[in-house]
Amino acid sequence: MSWAAHDLEPYAIQRHLKLKIAFVPLLFGSYSPDMLTKWFVYGIHLGPWELKASDPAQFHRGWPGFGFTHSLLFGAVLGLLIWKGFGSKLWGLSFMIGQWAHALTDTCDTLGTQLLFPWTFHFHIDAWAYAGQTGRLTDAAAYFSGLGGMWDVVWIVYGLISWRVLTSAYFDSVIYRADAFWPWVNRWVPRGALIVLYRAAFFYGTSRWIAWTIWAHVIHHYPYDLSWGGPHWVPAEHP
Amino acid sequence: MFAWYCLAAAVYIAIGVVVLDFLLSFWVGAGYLLVVAWLVPAAVRRLR
Repeated sequence: MSWAAHDLEPYAIQRHLKLKIAFVPLLFGSYSPDMLTKWFVYGIHLGPWELKASDPAQFHRGWPGFGFTHSLLFGAVLGLLIWKGFGSKLWGLSFMIGQWAHALTDTCDTLGTQLLFPWTFHFHIDAWAYAGQTGRLTDAAAYFSGLGGMWDVVWIVYGLISWRVLTSAYFDSVIYRADAFWPWVNRWVPRGALIVLYRAAFFYGTSRWIAWTIWAHVIHHYPYDLSWGGPHWVPAEHP
Repeated sequence: MFAWYCLAAAVYIAIGVVVLDFLLSFWVGAGYLLVVAWLVPAAVRRLR
């Protein structure tokens, strides 16, 4: 599970693929595996009721469950549907690349992903602990105390090094030109607002990385554990 | 403009550390940024 990488990776991909990719479906692809499931992994309260998966890890990454959302096939099928549904190969491919980036990134935790679903083998390299089953706050504390949080730093730094992708000149010459979505929205929404929206995921990913780190280590003093598979003070889920 | 984004981020982080729910949704973050980095500067420009 990653907290900021899925916000930031699309900018790195964008930097390399330029006009060959459309940013909005790329970002949606990057968010898509968790879009409909994360709330049920952590649980929510509706009045007196708590809605939460009885086995969050199984629900999130397993089969039976929604583990197939983290597979390459899921990205390819949805990408194909987007291609045929909207008549845009660019959108379909962009979505698929974003979803694949998410599925591959999540193989880095201890639970991993069923990358080649319907083969239900979990690919995992165990760099950081999967702790979604412990609830949102403990999961955040653990993630920002281990290598997961450091992996996000890689993308923040890479984004800052690639700062040109965030400029208005880049937006005009690449982002806007690559995808008919932007000129279409620009009929109602001013260019200035579109640039802000384009930058939003980078702003969100970076800012909340800082905020959660302050919360975990300045306010609550959770111990850092940057060892492989850590932090080991949290019970990590495994396949 | 970069400084303005940094200021916006500092305020977002300060609110988020106190009210964690503020950090949970991309749409809240995008809406916040839209107000702070576009709507407010545009309104200020119009008032001048």
